[in-house]
Amino acid sequence: MEDAISKIAQWLRADYGLSRRAVALLLLQEDPEMTALVAEREDPKVVAAIQQLVRELRGRGERSPLYRITMTRQRFAEQVTGQVTAKVTVKTRTLSERLSDLLIHPFWGTLFLVALLYFGFYQFVGVFAAGTAVEFLEDTVFGKYLLPPLVRFFEWLIPWAWLRELFVGEYGIFTLGIRYAFALLFPIVTAFFLMFSLVEDSGYFPRLALLVDRLFKGIGLSGRAVIPMVLGFGCDTMATMVTRILETRRERLIATLLLALAVPCSAQLGVMMATVSKVRGGIAVWALFVFAVFLLVGYLTARVLPGDPPRFYMEVVPLRLPRLENVLVKTWTRLQWYLWEVTPLFIVASVLIWLGRLTHLFDWLIAALSYPVQWVGLPKAMATVILFGFFRRDYGAAGLLDLVDKGAISGIDLVVTAIILTLFVPCIANFLMMVREHGWRAALVMTGFIFPFAFSCGFVAKHLLLWLHQWGWVGS
Amino acid sequence: MVDSHNPMSSQRPRSIGARLAEWWSRLKRRSLEAPPQKRVAIVGNPNVGKSLLFNRLTGIYVTVSNYPGTTVEIFRGRTHIDGVLYEIVDTPGMYSLLPSSDEERVARRLLMEERPDVVVHVVDAKNLSRMLPLTVQLMEAGFQVVLALNMMDEAMRAGIQIDTEALEALLGVAVVPVVATTGQGIAQLRRVIHAVAHGTAHSLRPTLGRRHQQDSAVAAG
Repeated sequence: MEDAISKIAQWLRADYGLSRRAVALLLLQEDPEMTALVAEREDPKVVAAIQQLVRELRGRGERSPLYRITMTRQRFAEQVTGQVTAKVTVKTRTLSERLSDLLIHPFWGTLFLVALLYFGFYQFVGVFAAGTAVEFLEDTVFGKYLLPPLVRFFEWLIPWAWLRELFVGEYGIFTLGIRYAFALLFPIVTAFFLMFSLVEDSGYFPRLALLVDRLFKGIGLSGRAVIPMVLGFGCDTMATMVTRILETRRERLIATLLLALAVPCSAQLGVMMATVSKVRGGIAVWALFVFAVFLLVGYLTARVLPGDPPRFYMEVVPLRLPRLENVLVKTWTRLQWYLWEVTPLFIVASVLIWLGRLTHLFDWLIAALSYPVQWVGLPKAMATVILFGFFRRDYGAAGLLDLVDKGAISGIDLVVTAIILTLFVPCIANFLMMVREHGWRAALVMTGFIFPFAFSCGFVAKHLLLWLHQWGWVGS
Repeated sequence: MVDSHNPMSSQRPRSIGARLAEWWSRLKRRSLEAPPQKRVAIVGNPNVGKSLLFNRLTGIYVTVSNYPGTTVEIFRGRTHIDGVLYEIVDTPGMYSLLPSSDEERVARRLLMEERPDVVVHVVDAKNLSRMLPLTVQLMEAGFQVVLALNMMDEAMRAGIQIDTEALEALLGVAVVPVVATTGQGIAQLRRVIHAVAHGTAHSLRPTLGRRHQQDSAVAAG
């Protein structure tokens, strides 16, 4: 072995930024990237000789060079460690270790998860932030104090109604864009990130990963994917980027698709809670339906996409008491990122909607969309909501809220629309992130699948709900 | 054998926005700031405290998390040590120089392409034996390695004592115990980085200089 290493090291001519010995070792371990690089930079004769040598070594001995090299290093590491470390106390099981075992226990762990989701996320983010805080900001701060003087100011400044619409019309930059960004999303996202950072710093997530690993295996993912999935409940765009921590491209594609399709972001969640909860049994049907879609699509994708199921290896970090200072700083940096990314998009969306309405392009699109909408069995007005949902998922969700407030939609149709909106094409930012991470082709294929699929699900959901309504399980 | 579908290869299509952002940051760097004189890369297994150490060294906040694999991009910051301008680079976690995920590939490519003057290998002092193989690989690859033993407080509480001087002598690289969460040992780490970057590590500890010079000789030859 040592012989082969020095031989290869001598043959190499090009510069790789690593010592020749290290390059030789990587070649013997058959590292694909390094092999390709060497094939590109070295004389073909040298490349052939190296390949020959690697093949020979692989054939000789019962263990692969990769295994032997790894073991040699590991033995050395253990030897050194043994020489320099001393264990003073006999380790007893600490409280945190016992707690850790409970958290990954199938029964107690699930119980804890449910409690965390209910109190930490549903009560704190869904009810407190999305309800109480949003109400205060929207109705009192924006509705009473900020918007009326602003509207008067623009009425004085711009005499033309069509231009004034851009700023303070029904979908104007201030009345819609800024209001949604700050009054609606800001409190929800703040609460979510705060909760997320707190749980993250405690070291709970790796345990959650262990807990759900079994379930995730069935949908072609490993427990590692738990982080992007949970993060998706905050912001799917951010979560799509974080799928990078997954090991294979296959796993990343599955995770990206599931995020875009069946993981509602915090803005959507907030609005869904506010609207769908008004229908008796609505939240349960919505949540179970979306979860079923999540499992089904994951299962099917894992069947269809070629490749091996992921290996699961993760360090279980110690449980730690989160430090308030760290949690606050982290929440703040995430919020900054969010505001920088999101606020401009809201303004752009307002401008696009204004342009679309002015040029009547939207009328065309809404007319086109009204066919699938009516096929599903929804009122025509839903086409508008779904179109706006295309610009930002949460935009559409918020439009839904307005319709509910006006009493223009029945309970069953509300739940159906909520399901379609949740499954529907991700917001523009999410779509662009999909392109950035996987290229245009993959992003377009995924969106092309999601489009008709969301409507088909709406169709199924409508009939399911009508049936449930007959039995008196769901209000109307 | 050739992996033509490597998603992180440089030919990957990138958005106009990303290209613009890169161009802008390059322009800004060129016009406003002097180029750094030395470059330091922070590497190590996931979740050993690389990002927190980066924060401590540069004063720039990047998201730190009690979860492996949080850093998926490369972060850069600057700091002065003894009047010399250093660029500090935070990398995604890596288990070995032989990558098995995209983030590990990102970290290795950074090491190969940028040839940092000093590589700070951050390890969890509680799990030394699991992390030393990477130290060995970094040394083999010809880097000037500084081993930062992080989480010394937790190791101590778990009853693990580490003789850092013996470790230094056995490996032949500088070893600095630190507690990144509280900032303990950071000043010493800065001194050691500076000494290693300028080839004067032997002034700190006589056993060190020789080995570091040997390594640079290997790297050069």
